[in-house]
Amino acid sequence: MITKHDLERVSEFVWQVPREYRADMRVPARLYADDELLDDALQDKSIEQLINTTTLPGIVKYALAMPDIHQGYGAPVGGVFATHTNDGVISPGAVGYDINCGVRVLAAQISAEEIRPYLRDLATELYRNCPSGVGVTGSVNLSYDDLDDILNRGADWALERGYALAEDLPHTEEYGRIPYADAAQVSHKAKERGIDQLGTLGAGNHFIEVDRITAIYHEDAARVLDLFENQVVVQIHCGSRGLGHQVCQDYVDRFQRVAQEYNIVLPDRELVAAPYQSPEGKAYAAAMGAAANFAFANRQVLAFHIRRSFASVLKGRLKNLALHQVYDIAHNMAKVEDHDVSGVTQRVLVHRKGATRAFGPNSPVLPDDLKEIGQPVLIPGSMGTMSFILVGTAGSMAQTFGSSCHGAGRVWSRHKAKKEVRGDRLRAEMEERGIAVRAGSMSGLAEEAPQAYKDVSRVVQVVDAAGIGKMVARLEPLAVIKG
Amino acid sequence: MSRYEEIDHTADWAFRAYGSTLPELFENAAYALFALEGALDARSTLTRELHVQGIDREALLVNWLNELLFLQETKRETYQKFHITKFSDTALDATIHGASAQPTTKLIKAVTFHDLKIEQTPNGWQATIVVDV
Repeated sequence: MITKHDLERVSEFVWQVPREYRADMRVPARLYADDELLDDALQDKSIEQLINTTTLPGIVKYALAMPDIHQGYGAPVGGVFATHTNDGVISPGAVGYDINCGVRVLAAQISAEEIRPYLRDLATELYRNCPSGVGVTGSVNLSYDDLDDILNRGADWALERGYALAEDLPHTEEYGRIPYADAAQVSHKAKERGIDQLGTLGAGNHFIEVDRITAIYHEDAARVLDLFENQVVVQIHCGSRGLGHQVCQDYVDRFQRVAQEYNIVLPDRELVAAPYQSPEGKAYAAAMGAAANFAFANRQVLAFHIRRSFASVLKGRLKNLALHQVYDIAHNMAKVEDHDVSGVTQRVLVHRKGATRAFGPNSPVLPDDLKEIGQPVLIPGSMGTMSFILVGTAGSMAQTFGSSCHGAGRVWSRHKAKKEVRGDRLRAEMEERGIAVRAGSMSGLAEEAPQAYKDVSRVVQVVDAAGIGKMVARLEPLAVIKG
Repeated sequence: MSRYEEIDHTADWAFRAYGSTLPELFENAAYALFALEGALDARSTLTRELHVQGIDREALLVNWLNELLFLQETKRETYQKFHITKFSDTALDATIHGASAQPTTKLIKAVTFHDLKIEQTPNGWQATIVVDV
């Protein structure tokens, strides 16, 4: 078991496991943390898993862990690494089961004070219009041809069908459509799981939250994003549902045999990988892209339901009911990107699992209106506490392949959380603090108790201090909707 | 011997299943899955025949359990009894008994290879399984 003594301190918030620590490491492993978060990370297998990722063929520079790191399957949650596109591997386990699990933030022209009288009704309407929980189906009736269209075109499909405003797309990562997605690489089983799930929230740690902005840290970025103090914003946290899970399972299974054929030796079967430049590697990339498109479309449909809910509850009562999209990010993905590696720009496959792309100012992939400030980075906190909006920086481009953290990271198992916390008491406690709660499952609520997570403000402060993200705004909940 | 027990795991859920033979281990692992979901109360009214393959014993276990979860989600059923009729390290046939449209308190989304070990014990076999919820 690795200890603090095995690590070198590179700077105040950066720790390194040297390549010499283990014989099979190809590059060092770096962890962003303060002393307390480092101690947390040393409690479970996260760092060991991070070290395992350094053994992957074609990996460049170093493997990275964000301050919210915790144990995952194969790669740790909060892990980032890049492999050469020409001779490196692609690994489904380093992307995660919930492909393109991500966050979307919509912002209103309404203040928290204005909305307070209608909050309970709004929470109820959102709970009604945004299906959540186990075994619940979505509101959009799809044929298998429709589904293929969604898998191939993501947000473009949603725009065509009236679920999006044109200005939503440039404020979505990848404009809501992964170009190399291919529905043909997604199994029929995955499509069977996804066919009636479009526009659903799911369960677990997925949620919709109505929040209030309680602090602005970066005036310029706030102005560009049209954010102001006491503003009402809405967060959506969910992913590609059963479809994405099946894609991951299918390829983790398929790659078991493939890894053997390509002589890829793995310290962990969940970390199974194939060369990116192989038929199997390309097939997974295309399937992952398709699942990602499903998730973009899913969050778009939920955004549509949210806009509808605001309109139906607040019409005639408040003036401007428009919700503009701040941004939409993915935090379980692998992307082909150009990054500086030892002074040379190289095309690499950046794997982010429980980590967010955080491109800095002037990045060519950003729309013109965001180039000045950098890409918004949306960090949902643990339930009932606080969330943050950041922007990417030149620092993240230089240090972390343009990546940042994704949220709070768990410290308690679900088993422990259910033992320590009573769901109904937690709900009562939140309601007492003025937070309207609509949840389908009390034990599900207990599992998401804030004590089960790291302190998100601490995670974000480390990110900001280390220069890999810049804090823009803090959000605190007014209403929580979950399955 | 108990059929399974729930164990601690930070990010998601884990359990250990037991069996005096390998087929019994596989049956009890399936039983554990639906027990954890709270789906065992239902009265079984339907039967399905399954054939599952895997490159080795661990992959076979993962694929067997994931197939059950796939059927649960797409057919909207839960399963209460599992009988493995044919078994090798790389393939199995099974008959499962279930009920339709039974709500569960919890949905397991996938079974992973994480920390998966099928081990022999003095009483037979055990496997530690981590699931994604």
